[in-house]
Amino acid sequence: MTTQELSATSGIELAQASRSNLWQDALARLAANRLAVIGIIPIVLLFFVALFGPTLTPYDFLAQDFTARLDSPSREHWLGTDELGRDVFSRILYGARTAVSVGLVSTAISLVVGLIMGSLAGYLGGRVDILVVWLTDVTRSMPALLLAIVINLTLKVPLEAWMEQLYLETKNTFFRQTMWVDLVLVFGALALIQWPGYARLIRGQILSIRSRNYVLAARALGMPTSRILTRYVIPNAMGPLIVAVSAGLGGAMVLESAFSFLGVGVQLPIPSWGKMISDGLRMWQTHPHLLAGPAVMMAVITVSFAWLGDGLNDALNPRQWK
Amino acid sequence: MFDRDNPPLVRVEKLTKHFSVRIGAYGETRATVHALDDISFTVQRGETLGLVGESGCGKSTAGLTLLQLHQPTAGKVFFQETEVTGLSDTELRPLRQKMQIIFQDPYSTLSPRMTIGNAIGEPLWLHELIAKNRVQERIAELLDAVGLNPAFAFRYPHEFSGGQRQRICIARALACEPEFIVCDEPISALDVSIQAQIINLLQDLQETYHLTYLFIAHDLAVVRHISDRVAVMYLGRVVEMAPKSRLFSNPLHPYTHALLQAVPVPNPRQERQRQHTVIHGNVPSAINPPSGCRFHPRCPLAFEPCDHIVPEWREVESDHWVACHAV
Amino acid sequence: MSVLLDVQDLQTRFKVRQGYVYAVNGVSFRLEEGETLAVVGESGCGKSVTMLSLVRLLPPAASIESGQVLLKGADLLQLDQRQLREVRGGQIGMIFQDPMTSLNPFINIGAQMAEPLIYHRGMGKKQALARSAELLEMVGIPDGETRLREYPHQFSGGMRQRVMIAMAMACEPAVLIADEPTTALDVTIQAQIVELVKALRDRSGVAVVWITHDLSVVAGIADRVIVMYAGYVVEEASVDALFEDPRHPYTVGLLGALPSLDGDAHRLTTIGGSPPDLADQPTFCPFHPRCPYAIERCRTENPALEAVADATARGHRTACWVDIRELQSPVVSGS
Repeated sequence: MTTQELSATSGIELAQASRSNLWQDALARLAANRLAVIGIIPIVLLFFVALFGPTLTPYDFLAQDFTARLDSPSREHWLGTDELGRDVFSRILYGARTAVSVGLVSTAISLVVGLIMGSLAGYLGGRVDILVVWLTDVTRSMPALLLAIVINLTLKVPLEAWMEQLYLETKNTFFRQTMWVDLVLVFGALALIQWPGYARLIRGQILSIRSRNYVLAARALGMPTSRILTRYVIPNAMGPLIVAVSAGLGGAMVLESAFSFLGVGVQLPIPSWGKMISDGLRMWQTHPHLLAGPAVMMAVITVSFAWLGDGLNDALNPRQWK
Repeated sequence: MFDRDNPPLVRVEKLTKHFSVRIGAYGETRATVHALDDISFTVQRGETLGLVGESGCGKSTAGLTLLQLHQPTAGKVFFQETEVTGLSDTELRPLRQKMQIIFQDPYSTLSPRMTIGNAIGEPLWLHELIAKNRVQERIAELLDAVGLNPAFAFRYPHEFSGGQRQRICIARALACEPEFIVCDEPISALDVSIQAQIINLLQDLQETYHLTYLFIAHDLAVVRHISDRVAVMYLGRVVEMAPKSRLFSNPLHPYTHALLQAVPVPNPRQERQRQHTVIHGNVPSAINPPSGCRFHPRCPLAFEPCDHIVPEWREVESDHWVACHAV
Repeated sequence: MSVLLDVQDLQTRFKVRQGYVYAVNGVSFRLEEGETLAVVGESGCGKSVTMLSLVRLLPPAASIESGQVLLKGADLLQLDQRQLREVRGGQIGMIFQDPMTSLNPFINIGAQMAEPLIYHRGMGKKQALARSAELLEMVGIPDGETRLREYPHQFSGGMRQRVMIAMAMACEPAVLIADEPTTALDVTIQAQIVELVKALRDRSGVAVVWITHDLSVVAGIADRVIVMYAGYVVEEASVDALFEDPRHPYTVGLLGALPSLDGDAHRLTTIGGSPPDLADQPTFCPFHPRCPYAIERCRTENPALEAVADATARGHRTACWVDIRELQSPVVSGS
């Protein structure tokens, strides 16, 4: 408060802070966070490229040019070409598509599962709570990559066989595309790894918000439970959830690349950064551009999500507000 | 206790609330917290009943259980001669409108994500108290009634000080057009100069809207100031209840006596001359409350029956109730 | 009596996001040997920050801008960290509001009590423990030797505050600073603690600085009182003079806001509004927006703390442009 303001105010009509709403406040705080703002730029670009990638790429991601195999970056191929003469830049742009779709879909699945399980645990309590907490503990105790490998090894063959059978029965060519099996397995594995985090977060939020006085006050007003949930519990749980989802999106993309790197991710022909890194690694001494392109992209996106998540955390954490 | 010509607004009969908790390092032992045991009192229309006691004596539990925000373990509560104990949430809704509560901590009582106008407006449409097109007008009226600028309706709680938030909470309770308000330590979290503002506001509103208060507090001076009658609680039981002038001039229960002795007098000359008899020991745990009279381990008057017979809650003079063997 | 602690023009401010908050603005006061001085004010008035500034136990955002804190003639603000540690717990004992968090829950009471004795007094462990047991008995905790082996959670709030007092008194300090020591306690326990501190003071002759927001407690324990508002001392007087002849409108307001146990149910006088946080050193009286007696001068000049001309008792000082006794009724009264 400045001296002028102080001398201008008198009596009880003295609001202590500025006239702004909470979300605007949070947004202003986010905008003031330099790293978060820097982080937003690559993330926006990533989503833009994922949406419009095909119209932006100079070459088709599958177009092979055997006259230009393993070319270094040049004017024709900005980031060079790979073993099959495919344009690396185009493949990176397509890879953004994989990363974003994997990130969005797997986060959405795990968020929905986590919301349901977490709310059940937080609201019903008792045995349901114990069961959910136990389930999350068990899931989280398994190493993520190992879990993905196990899922891939045990489910891929039977799933593909099942698809083949469906094709034979229906003659629908859709079932010949084994790419879908890969996607389902990757999404499933990611969701399985990520849902416990969301479930625990939501459970904790519900438990803590339920004990707040404003929920008691709402009950004292005679408000029905459904309304208490939608007006009080959920809006107040949003902040931490937004932070978790932002971090989760980045995490899912990194995990997907790790899967691809280990050979349990999305298989060719859809380009995936992890797969490109793992391919590039074999020849990094002679053709470093194959590794550098996707690796730098991966690093930039990971760091960007971390910065944005940090910024959101600071902006939405009410304990740091005065 | 029951006067047919002048029925009380609120009647509490042998209200009991026990909480089940798990104790021990692994929660292996179940224990019962005797938060409230067998309390009975009435609140007459238009009066303020003060409920006073030290922390952990169950006074807040009494308020919450009375309003059915805690499920009572036993006992009955009547509001306007209608039993409210055992009613479902839906059946309670019309009664909730008539019985409101103001909490101690105005910081956590308002959702940080709701403008104060919305918070105050909520009960209006919930109980369909006013036509939709008049809601804004009514919110402005209510803000004005509690001494706030009606233009504040579009602001969020974090922009207000503790005293202002308590005013907002009061406006919200008033929006219900209640007849009875439980004030659960409404000023304890506030600064001295702000406390006086809120006390005066509550008194003004009582006069304007003909409100009846159950005023819960630990501060005897505040309770004396605002109440017509005062009930003193100790470890889950009401030990004495009387009109305030009688309770403060002629306390019968040794605990009431000790409590009055402990209150500092804001007058240095009187303080120097005053006899300082300090009551020893601490309030025991409500998990294993002492047998018989719960005050007996600290009581200077304790004698033979006190440690095994629960003293009867009886009216020793007209409207002066006490539970003590020594009286 | 001689002056034990002499604080001159103490200024402390906090760095915040946009600039500074001026928490303590040129506070001066003296504490004489064996005296009990009460520091009164609402939350945010700078009373705790003032006391923490004395021993430089401030959070990192705070800085002492100027001033002198002379303890028996030596300026505490000039000491290095090692010398300062000698003073804290040695010459100056402190107790705080929250006895629940002031003790380490993982260490038994004996070890916590013995530590300052070993550090400041160079005692051996055995000797320190024996002394600790004595101290516990002194603060009214019987069976000291057994209780030394217990942990903080085995003590009630009042008992923990007794332990804190025993620790503060362990090295026979010259000054005991008590920062809202009874605020978190129930009224019967508060009475026990007040009586205990009075008894210790009378026995050991320690000078006490008792920080509180509760004027009722002040009446029973203090010899002299200073009233703080927005980081300024606005009134200083003997306890009798303060209660019987208050001269600053803020003090009058605080006293009027107190419901009393034996008074009639008069209407409480209130002070409208709430205390400010100062972002600058004001060129006006910081109380004037809430003051019913404010005149034009209050808006343009900040009054200094000066002796009351026709005071009934010596050493009565106030910072106000208005002689409120000349004005029978305030211009407007609060809300």
